[in-house]
Amino acid sequence: MDYDDDAPPDLIETNEVINEEEKPVKVPITIVTGYLGAGKTTLLNYILTAQHGKKIAVIMNEFGDSLDIEKSLTVNKDGESVEEWMEVGNGCICCSVKDTGVNAIESLMEKKGKFDYILLETTGLADPGNLAPLFWMDDGLGSTIYLDGIVTLVDAKNILRSLDDPAGKVEGHEESDEHGHGPVMTTAHVQISHADVIVINKSDLVSEDELQAVQDRITSINGLAKIHITKQSVVPELEGFLLDLHAYDRVEELDKASLGHSHLDKTISTLSIPLPVLTSGQVEKLDAWLRSVLWENVLPGHENAAGTPAFEIHRLKGRLILEDGGEKMVQGVREIFEIFDGPDNSGSQTAGKLVLIGRHLVDFDFPTSLQQTVGLAQST
Amino acid sequence: MTEQPPAKKKCLGADCENDAGTLQCPKCLSLGIKGSFFCSQDCFKKNWNTHKELHKLASPETYNPFPSFSYTGPLRPVYPLSPRRVVPKSIPHPDYAESGIPGGGRTRSNKIEQLDEKGREGMRKVCRLAREVLDVAAAAIRPGITTDDLDKIVHDACIERNSYPSPLNYNFFPKSVCTSLNEVICHGIPDKRVLVDGDILNLDVTLYHEGYHGDLNETYYVGDKAKADPDSVRVTETARECLEEAIKLVKPGTLFRDFGNVIEAHAKSRGCSVIRTYVGHGINKTFHCPPNIPHYAKNRAVGECKPGMTFTIEPMIALGKYRDVTWPDNWTSTTIDGKRTAQFEHTLLVTETGVEILTARTADSPGGPIPMPTAAAA
Repeated sequence: MDYDDDAPPDLIETNEVINEEEKPVKVPITIVTGYLGAGKTTLLNYILTAQHGKKIAVIMNEFGDSLDIEKSLTVNKDGESVEEWMEVGNGCICCSVKDTGVNAIESLMEKKGKFDYILLETTGLADPGNLAPLFWMDDGLGSTIYLDGIVTLVDAKNILRSLDDPAGKVEGHEESDEHGHGPVMTTAHVQISHADVIVINKSDLVSEDELQAVQDRITSINGLAKIHITKQSVVPELEGFLLDLHAYDRVEELDKASLGHSHLDKTISTLSIPLPVLTSGQVEKLDAWLRSVLWENVLPGHENAAGTPAFEIHRLKGRLILEDGGEKMVQGVREIFEIFDGPDNSGSQTAGKLVLIGRHLVDFDFPTSLQQTVGLAQST
Repeated sequence: MTEQPPAKKKCLGADCENDAGTLQCPKCLSLGIKGSFFCSQDCFKKNWNTHKELHKLASPETYNPFPSFSYTGPLRPVYPLSPRRVVPKSIPHPDYAESGIPGGGRTRSNKIEQLDEKGREGMRKVCRLAREVLDVAAAAIRPGITTDDLDKIVHDACIERNSYPSPLNYNFFPKSVCTSLNEVICHGIPDKRVLVDGDILNLDVTLYHEGYHGDLNETYYVGDKAKADPDSVRVTETARECLEEAIKLVKPGTLFRDFGNVIEAHAKSRGCSVIRTYVGHGINKTFHCPPNIPHYAKNRAVGECKPGMTFTIEPMIALGKYRDVTWPDNWTSTTIDGKRTAQFEHTLLVTETGVEILTARTADSPGGPIPMPTAAAA
């Protein structure tokens, strides 16, 4: 064929319709963690077989700490399960900010249509703190999924033993001190410390006192999480328990009375720091304080605290009340954090709060450091 | 990555601001080239001489390996690829040269390395060599040459400098340089595509020399037509300026999250968008390591500049939408609307007082900024 014509031919009518770009609707993803035997499988089987009228995709198995994702995914709609296979391209993962797992889920949705919800089951040994940052993406990335929250299931009968079991030491975290003494940080700890919802399962297998002890211990580790107590893996209402958590875009639970009153657990605790009304300059300083604490692992004013074991922040939430009546939210997981505009309910709140969950928080004077850095005279 | 058919198509005619209707070039349709929409016969006629070059590219010896893929713009891969080029054993190879999988850098730690004087000297050297190689390849750009020809030039220039071309087999990338044309955002694979007057072409070169990687890229105008096309000049010069603006911020204490604010503001002021999916990166003994440097505003990037850190800033700027689509080759990333995109990149060293642009242009470097075409009626 000779393509190089001298004169252009006539254009032809093709009737191809060109669509406008749709505004992406974001699908929430919930990460479900918990030890083997804590009831994950029962819960997910329920979701996959129950008639809840929602199209829920469950990603199971080995979505562990790594960037790999096993390719099987099960989608339930109206009680019918369909297994799908996700394509995980190799591509240059290093210079793309999106995780390959995120890409795989997105491209599957492109082909199969949107899900209403996505549940991601981790292995029993997964550290959810490594997974959360992969799914808590910048809005700017325009992803079609967003991290709704982390749900951790614990077995009432075994959880206290798991928390004290040196064999359960979690991988990938620095030793609390050089000699390996001191309280151990187990996988159970990090699964609880990063959780937004904690389900205490098999409560029928323990006495009331034992159940109370479990609850107290869990609350002392993570004072922010919502707690559900269930028997025989009976699943409560899905909304607010497993779905629609909004754990990373709202900060409603800061007013809980239980915050920061107990040091029952020697490893991890929740610390609540009250904050008065702030100027915008003080918000800047608070940002700098968070950068130092989260990025550099340095508590301002305690730079030379030699010999003290290093602290580690797992989760952080805050509400800042501004002089001009505005309100800001603080969210963080591991070293990633953001201060963003909150709902504008001018005047209804008069005090802010910053809540930290992490390791060795009691060994340092976080409140004084924060108040000094931000320039608050009136410490409480 | 949303629904497949992208937004309203614009007329392909140069300088034409009209939306295209449903009129398409029949030749393109018969050749399987999709998306050749024009607003009218008149406009089509006016652009015929440029447009018909596209038809030539579909020559009998070459083929489109993914005929059923719905490409977002006029560009097509032109296969077969040339055989894999060989690097002499005497040149030190990075770990992935054999396995395809980079090992060292995949630690989960977000710790950003600060190089000592020896490391800094290693980075200075490899970056200077990388600049030389880019300049050699850029000098060869002209209508009629293929991107694979440029790959050979880059490959040979690396070997002459006792360096391994870092892209080769990095996560199985098949070639020694990335060649990204027109609507290709980045990671274009050199193939038999012939450069035509009016193209814009990005060359992304990385060398591995004496244990360190040096990485840079620039976008070049192919022939005089590209230099006369207001949109091509706008997107290319905006990308160049975005990088310059971001580099101005680099000094100890600057937050990595702040570059994106400056880049996006400047791009917007020129009516351009910022590609989000691809980011700048730390670079030293590892090709890609922390930090991540997003180029879009309001990002949560972790970390701040400290003396001895080496990283790239490499904004990708688009005339249309920021969203990207990857070809089935798993590498080539294009804009979702098929509009043009341009990129510039430097490897930077944070010094005690500011920044050293390790891959800076020299007085003889080909390319460089050009003014907006004055006849810009658009």
